[in-house]
Amino acid sequence: MTTDENRCVVTGLGLISAIGNNVSQCWQNAISGVSGIKKAKAVDTTDCYANLAAEVEDESLNGEEKINRVSRLCIKATDEAMQDAGLSDFDNSPKAAVIMGSCVGGVSNAEKYYKSGKKAEYVSEIPISPIANHVARAYHAGGVVTNIANACAAGTISIAYACDLVRSGKAEVVIVGGADALASVPFAGFLSLHALDSQPCSPFNRCGGITLGEGAGALIIESYEHAANRQAHIYCDVLGSGVSGDAHHITAPRPDGKGQMCAIRRAIESSGIKPSEIGYINAHGTGTAKNDEAEFLSLHTIFDEEDSDLSVSSTKSMVGHCLGAAGAIEAVFAIKALTEGKIPPTVGYTQEDLARLSSRAGKLDFCPNVAREKSLSTVMSNSFAFGGNNASIVFSKGTGNIETKSTRERVFITGIGIVSPIGNGLDNYIEKTLAGTPLESESNESVIDKSDYENCGLKNSFCRKLDKFSRLQAVSGMTALSDAGLTVNDDNAEQTGIVVGTSDGPLSTICDYQQDLVNKGNCSGSAFKFPNTVYNAAGGYLSICSGIRGYNVTLTNGAQSGLESIAYAVNVLNSGEEKAVLATGTDENSEIVTELYKKSGYFDGGNFKLSDGSTTLVLESDSGVLKRGVKPYAEVLGCGTADCPVEFGTLSGSGKALENAISLALEDAGLTSDDIDGIVGFANGLQEVDKTESETLENTFGERTAEIPVFNIHKVTGEGRAATASLSAAHAALILSGKLGASVESENLGEVAASELNKLLVISYGSGGVYTAVVIAR
Amino acid sequence: MNEQEIATKIQKMICEKLGVDPEELDNDVPLFDDGIGLDSIDSLEIIAGIDEEFGVDMTGVGKEPFYNVTSLAEYVANALDTDK
Repeated sequence: MTTDENRCVVTGLGLISAIGNNVSQCWQNAISGVSGIKKAKAVDTTDCYANLAAEVEDESLNGEEKINRVSRLCIKATDEAMQDAGLSDFDNSPKAAVIMGSCVGGVSNAEKYYKSGKKAEYVSEIPISPIANHVARAYHAGGVVTNIANACAAGTISIAYACDLVRSGKAEVVIVGGADALASVPFAGFLSLHALDSQPCSPFNRCGGITLGEGAGALIIESYEHAANRQAHIYCDVLGSGVSGDAHHITAPRPDGKGQMCAIRRAIESSGIKPSEIGYINAHGTGTAKNDEAEFLSLHTIFDEEDSDLSVSSTKSMVGHCLGAAGAIEAVFAIKALTEGKIPPTVGYTQEDLARLSSRAGKLDFCPNVAREKSLSTVMSNSFAFGGNNASIVFSKGTGNIETKSTRERVFITGIGIVSPIGNGLDNYIEKTLAGTPLESESNESVIDKSDYENCGLKNSFCRKLDKFSRLQAVSGMTALSDAGLTVNDDNAEQTGIVVGTSDGPLSTICDYQQDLVNKGNCSGSAFKFPNTVYNAAGGYLSICSGIRGYNVTLTNGAQSGLESIAYAVNVLNSGEEKAVLATGTDENSEIVTELYKKSGYFDGGNFKLSDGSTTLVLESDSGVLKRGVKPYAEVLGCGTADCPVEFGTLSGSGKALENAISLALEDAGLTSDDIDGIVGFANGLQEVDKTESETLENTFGERTAEIPVFNIHKVTGEGRAATASLSAAHAALILSGKLGASVESENLGEVAASELNKLLVISYGSGGVYTAVVIAR
Repeated sequence: MNEQEIATKIQKMICEKLGVDPEELDNDVPLFDDGIGLDSIDSLEIIAGIDEEFGVDMTGVGKEPFYNVTSLAEYVANALDTDK
């Protein structure tokens, strides 16, 4: 039995979709088999072979144009979930977190940007980052605040991560969910792939493609103790979860279902239950031939042998494919099924279809057309995404048998891969850092050429598919693996993971794609470019070229995402089966990105130098390091993330969160501020940013502030956002390992003897007031 | 437009749209599998490109014309001939 300390419970639900504006409406319509699929309104379907979508009809969402529709949907669902849970405000508690999944974020603002003649007001809401910020601001969440950007698996991974945070003690209560709004980029993109059905989608049936939907799902997840103390109504427990990567193809699932099955099996095993205990699965069930074939295979393989009585349905047949919201919306449907004892149907079967279904379904019950009453004790929800990302999660009326590791793993940095505007590779970085030449241009870009591919063993036929963002990530990732001497093979592929951190994702590709659609129409999207518009494409390509098949996630909330990826990776190493995780920070610069940063006023005064790059750190648990007998660069002692949400695009007034992040990291490391020998900071020439850092350090270190050396790499590398945050951690590891020489140049105290530095604090910020701090030790 | 001119245009289109190195792409190298290594997504892009460039719809056409640039050019030339 799971001990109370390991229990995560669901205490609130919120939902908005094409079949209702709240949980109750959506649920009543779902069990009545009502479909919300109609002719699309929000996107222009002129000359498109398909014109359907499942859009939300809620007039209360109209009006406040300043906030993108995706965040308005999200707030609507989170408001309902918070009320349902009897919660209203977290009072900036560092144990209150927000994890939101999204695939396309505010991409419709990019359409407005180009259609309005490039108005600056639309820029800040284009990325995914603002979504979690809006939610955190609404309820004053002061802990981990981030977005999971793993396309169609984002919502499910968000819930999995929320539970990992609760079980590791990093959070007590989490607002978790996912949101996506219908927009022309995904519509035209799926159309170009011929993946949209011209009729309403028909999962596990005709399999003619998907119908896009929109909406948001939200759950309140708490530690059992937190919920019990406030006598909250508990819907169910969240048991285990499984996240994996296919390492196969950027859009198509593995035909052998191997990646899907890995995620499903992990979810079952980590729950400590038998497959036969699962009575219902809310399937991914998109309605494309490739997905549904692979899913039939996975479900039959895992559940047929068991003495199971399994029902499966795809609610996408009614609410469409809501991309990053899908996992969250479907989790709510799965929980309602569990608690109400009713299974929502898969709609759209004719009499002829039913005959065909029975031959494919075998023992499994696909609940065609009509809801089914069934007493359930445990249910599962599955999501499988672009990039080959798979996620599976289990909800139960029971508590399962969840075991957590009795001792915490020590985590070491064993490999470093660097792509930066001052050149690529570790030796080059060391040389250029020692030279210390400051960047001159206000806009700087990393360059990758054929020799970089050759050095990584990457073929042209592979690299030609990648946009710049993915190339940066592929090269830094492969270089880091090689630096760690880590060979990925069948034995360790599933025990190796990838955590990508990014501030802006593939922003140039997204905007370029959108601009083409504005010029040529939604019927003219490029099938070749579309897969690269999703944030997790880079992590997906990296899994394909490295063969890594374990945990795979892309998180995004400003520049600090590059440091938060380390905190996330440490959590994965401690809560899952992974022995090694690649933690990265990646962001790209281009003419388009520079233009958008200019519009947002980043170059007005100050000394801000925009740049880009990718840094990958190979993190290994001590058991992994011992087994391989490698000499690590340094050890990650502790991590902390905290938020003091202020308006997205600003930072003033959020310094308290940096103090909290530092305290949490020190607490995690079992240290006090007196133990810190130096700081690698994030000052980047923006007055607001630099001031926040210096004021907070004074508050944290008091009289010692003047004696502590502060290092900063921004002068040499520019502000490459997540890439620089992650590179700052690499820089600390290089100092501690002696690779930067016997003495190192600090910002405030000149040359400092490296031998006197044993524990360094690395800090980073994200727009809107979120910070991560990491303690790295010799 | 003769077949060679069509082939040159197709070659250019493939290099531009699919990031193929012009040095690797002659008229006879196989486009899929062991040749240039194109996949199903690339074939959608080729279909869109040929429609855009020549007004020839290759939706639903079998695999053979997609073997290499020469076979694509042959298909397009025939389709344009038939249109006349």
